[in-house]
Amino acid sequence: MELHILEHSLKVASIAKEGIQICTHGLIKLAFLSSKTRCKFFSLTETPEDYTIIVDEDGFKELPQSEYLSVAEATWLALNVVSGGGSATSSQPIGVTKIAKSVIAPLADHNISVFMLSTYQTDFILVRERDLPMVMHTLSSEFTLLRVVNGETVAANSTGVTNGFVKPKLVPRPIIHPLSSPSNMFCVTSLDPDTLPSVATLLMDVMFYSGGVKESAASGDDSGHIRFFSFSLIEGYISLVMDEQTTRRFPNNVLFTSASGELWKMVRIGGQPLGFDECGIVAQISEPLATADIPAYYISTFKFDHALVPEENIQSVIGALRTNESAGH
Amino acid sequence: MSGSKPDILWSPHHVDRYVICDSELSLYRIGSIGSAEAKAGTLPLSEETAATLLAINSDTPYMKCVAWYPKHEPECLLAVGQANGRVVLTSLGQSPNSKCKELMGKEFVPKHARQCNTLAWNPWDSNWLAAGLDKHRADFSVLIWDISSKYAPDISLPMEKIRLSSGDTDSGLVVTKPLYELGQNDACLSLCWLPRDQKLLLAGMHRNLAIFDLRNTSQKTFVNTKAIQGVTVDPHFHERVASFFEGQVAIWDLRKFEKPVLTLTEQPKPLTKVAWCPTRTGLLATLTRDSNVIRLYDMQHAPTPIGDETEPTIIERSVQPCSDNSVISSFAWHPSAQNRMVVVSPNRAMTDFTVFERISLAWGSTTSLMWACGRHLYECAEDGGQGGSAEKDRDIATKMRQRAQNGYGHDTAQVWRNHLLAGGDDPQLKSLWYTLHFMKQYTEDLEQKQQGSKQSLIYSGIKNIVRSSSGTTENRRCWRGSDRQTDVARYHSEERSLALQLCGWIGRGPEVDVEPFLKTLEQEGEWERAAAVALFNLDIRRAIQILNKGASSEKGDLNLNVVAMALSGYTDEKNSLWREMCSTLRLPLKKPYLCVMFAFLTSEPGAYDGVLYESSVAVRDRVAFACMFLNDTQLPRYIDKLTNEMKEAGNLEGILLTGLTKDGVDLMESYVDRTGDVQTASFCMLMGSPGEVVKDTRVQCWIENYRNLLDAWRFWHKRAEFDIHRSKLDPSSKPLAQVFVSCNFCGKSISYSCSAMPHQGRGFSQYGVSGSPTKSKVTSCPGCRKPLPRCALCLMNMGTPVSSCPGSGKIDEKVDLTRDKKLAQFNNWFTWCHNCRHGGHAGHMLSWFRDHSECPVSACTCKCMQLDTTGNLVPSDSS
Repeated sequence: MELHILEHSLKVASIAKEGIQICTHGLIKLAFLSSKTRCKFFSLTETPEDYTIIVDEDGFKELPQSEYLSVAEATWLALNVVSGGGSATSSQPIGVTKIAKSVIAPLADHNISVFMLSTYQTDFILVRERDLPMVMHTLSSEFTLLRVVNGETVAANSTGVTNGFVKPKLVPRPIIHPLSSPSNMFCVTSLDPDTLPSVATLLMDVMFYSGGVKESAASGDDSGHIRFFSFSLIEGYISLVMDEQTTRRFPNNVLFTSASGELWKMVRIGGQPLGFDECGIVAQISEPLATADIPAYYISTFKFDHALVPEENIQSVIGALRTNESAGH
Repeated sequence: MSGSKPDILWSPHHVDRYVICDSELSLYRIGSIGSAEAKAGTLPLSEETAATLLAINSDTPYMKCVAWYPKHEPECLLAVGQANGRVVLTSLGQSPNSKCKELMGKEFVPKHARQCNTLAWNPWDSNWLAAGLDKHRADFSVLIWDISSKYAPDISLPMEKIRLSSGDTDSGLVVTKPLYELGQNDACLSLCWLPRDQKLLLAGMHRNLAIFDLRNTSQKTFVNTKAIQGVTVDPHFHERVASFFEGQVAIWDLRKFEKPVLTLTEQPKPLTKVAWCPTRTGLLATLTRDSNVIRLYDMQHAPTPIGDETEPTIIERSVQPCSDNSVISSFAWHPSAQNRMVVVSPNRAMTDFTVFERISLAWGSTTSLMWACGRHLYECAEDGGQGGSAEKDRDIATKMRQRAQNGYGHDTAQVWRNHLLAGGDDPQLKSLWYTLHFMKQYTEDLEQKQQGSKQSLIYSGIKNIVRSSSGTTENRRCWRGSDRQTDVARYHSEERSLALQLCGWIGRGPEVDVEPFLKTLEQEGEWERAAAVALFNLDIRRAIQILNKGASSEKGDLNLNVVAMALSGYTDEKNSLWREMCSTLRLPLKKPYLCVMFAFLTSEPGAYDGVLYESSVAVRDRVAFACMFLNDTQLPRYIDKLTNEMKEAGNLEGILLTGLTKDGVDLMESYVDRTGDVQTASFCMLMGSPGEVVKDTRVQCWIENYRNLLDAWRFWHKRAEFDIHRSKLDPSSKPLAQVFVSCNFCGKSISYSCSAMPHQGRGFSQYGVSGSPTKSKVTSCPGCRKPLPRCALCLMNMGTPVSSCPGSGKIDEKVDLTRDKKLAQFNNWFTWCHNCRHGGHAGHMLSWFRDHSECPVSACTCKCMQLDTTGNLVPSDSS
């Protein structure tokens, strides 16, 4: 297995709902006019609370300074796991589940806080830049560490900072944050970048204007319904997460659908905003899923974390997590 | 490709068909304008060719890539990769064909939708189709589909999850289970099958190039690189692969896959297509975005594999296929027509274009010229027309070759005859060789007289002779046969008469009679010249007589009589009508000698510019005239002026003035610059020039060039003759012995041993290799007395004469050197193969290898004669 340390220096920011109009110019530029910026990594996730933006330094310049914009103080680096050998076993678990044991748990054991971003194409594990030596040390035993420099992968040498690292003791990780499962079902999808202009207005509507009347009416009908939408444009690849109703607004054949047409349900983690310093949250969720061999997406936002699991598995997931939760108490 | 930019694909088997694909597929047939003219709607592609639209297929939207079925049948089957990752088989303009029909519309659907970037048919098993897809977090990016497989629900996938659109499932046209899945959680940008093996697939992945071996899918060979787009194998060299990234092309050698063997110069704009020429080895065409040129890289002569230390030779150039400079969207090489391609512009305008091969050109050693263009070879030879004028206009190399064959320059006894050997039609050469002839004569005379004390003076030419002139006497003579006193002063001195001799006016000895010269001129029919010479010698009567004779001779010019009449009216009266008329009427005269005769008669004493500067009069006549009538101050000035004129013009007549001195070399230099005739220059300068002149680098250069020319013409015998000639005239040029035969036992040179005992009087003749064959047989080393090796054929020890040579002894060897005998001497020499070290008498070996290719020693299979490449060359001079 290879662990690629990507070259993007990332900022994680939150835009308050009421302040979104100040930022729309920059966000539209980042999302739809990628040729006009040098930004290579952009992600926007809308939750009922706020908009979470993950963007590289070039893209960050497009955003205005504002009281509505709060930025996590650290600079983050994205890690990406690539299965080196072309192993043909198709029954392998996918997504966060696949890397739960190999990446997420060891990082949690070393008290390294991670920020997850799953996309249609892959999973990004964001770590603080200052934690990188520790990350490399932690993962060097399991992975071939490669650093991307100018688009070319080169071997990254662990800087040999072994001193002072204590072997952590493996403790069971109880789930300590409250969980909730909204009623709506989600699609993780993508589209051909060439067709992006044709659906740009629709996407803008979904991103910035759908929080209005229609949404409040819907939430009135169903209290378990959650407003959640994620768009990312990373190294030219588009990834979308939206609920099933929203997908119906798109023309046929624009969104990529899997042959199995799978749908996902969400597990929302956290009652109070989680902050950035607490570690082990992803591990708490992903380890039970890995044990149960359930594929999952995981999207961290500024305030809460979101895991997506196949709809047919939601009950067993909830069950498994609840068990863990109660075991913790 | 989707949207605006059309791409183009040639049919792999039907050389007149291609497909343009943008939002739809259009099949065209290409034909010559003539045959296509009848039909309406043909599009001209070039001056000769036009395309006819045969069919359009717009069944497959969201096309991302297209690949043409590689087998002959079904002919127009195409695989189309779509934006959602599905691969659809479709066809164009085809009569319903059972096999094809079954495949048509068949879809291959990946588990997770994402763009299909590339498609590649397996060249061996045409049922295999590899598709390269974008990244998905849970899926593979390289899928190999079997197009013959039926729809089979994937057992591993839960049935209830498959939500295919209705109609797909029941037709059996949708395949979801690939034969192989490779590259998990990665993206595939480009693919090609390796010709080495059916199961090897080269893929440009997200950040590396990977070779997948389907025999063991868990293994892959890969190299991290950015250059992952457009991987393509050189059809002529299966280990060579090109790929690109943005503006840079990387060339890989699969045997040294760690890094590119070379990267081509980076282009400012990103590349869009890179393709090897299928009809020409090592030619790579590249296209960048929004460009109107196709860049070609010729690595035909780049060594393979390219070593680390060698700088590969790649010739880069650009071609502009569209005459109107329009931007090229894509191009495709024609599969079989040499260097031909069709390019398509964004507005679908197409151009048929043939890349003109670089022309390489080579001159033959004779006048032939060869050039190669593509697979054609052209020869251009000089027209062998034998017309007189053509003879003169021939190239100097042809002339030199002809002259060399005639033995030009080798007549050292009758030096003047060399101009006849040169063809006898060049007045400058004639003058040159006569001059050299006279110079040689007088050298010999002087040598006899004075033991060579004045030799250098003679060869210095008239310029130096008259400079040292002293004791000039002046006299005024009467016109011969008349008692009238002339007021013309004539000058005499020893040097002046020497100069006249060199000019050929007077013979050797103390006599100053021009009569023999006049007789010669009369014989040659040079009436005007003879008359002028007679006149200059103040013999007006003889001049008139000559003119009369000329008029009455065969083909004589009757006008000469008129001239004689005019001449006879000569009067020295200053203001006579005759003088006045002659001085004006002489000017239109066409014959220069007649003109100068009247100029002489009408000019003031001492002012003979009309004669001296009449350039069509031979230099030697003018010089002789000057030596008679110019005083000691005028003469050197005139000679200097004329010398400089000659030097500047490179006129060989000027050798008379300069002699074979440094001045002469200067003159010869401008002659060679003008004509390229190194042959004449070499021979001339070898003729008795003083040592330092022959050592002049220019002279040595002419000589070496001439020898090289003879070698290039394979005139090896002529070359040898020239070397002999040269060593006679310039003993310092004789090369030292460079090859010695040493004894196998004591290691001493056998010839060295001979020369070490000079008093025993044994030269090479002992070994029967030089001089006349002798009875003495020396078959052992003179140093250690061990026997010399035996001839493989006659089994005699070397050194034994080959017998059967008529023992004529040493009587008058020079005359008796017949060809046979010369050969016989060589036959005795020993020779051996440097490879197998077998050998024998040269004569025996020659006759053996006339009929055999292998070594005469039994059990030795060495092909000695074939190893000797120069031995197979035949000299082109027969002597």
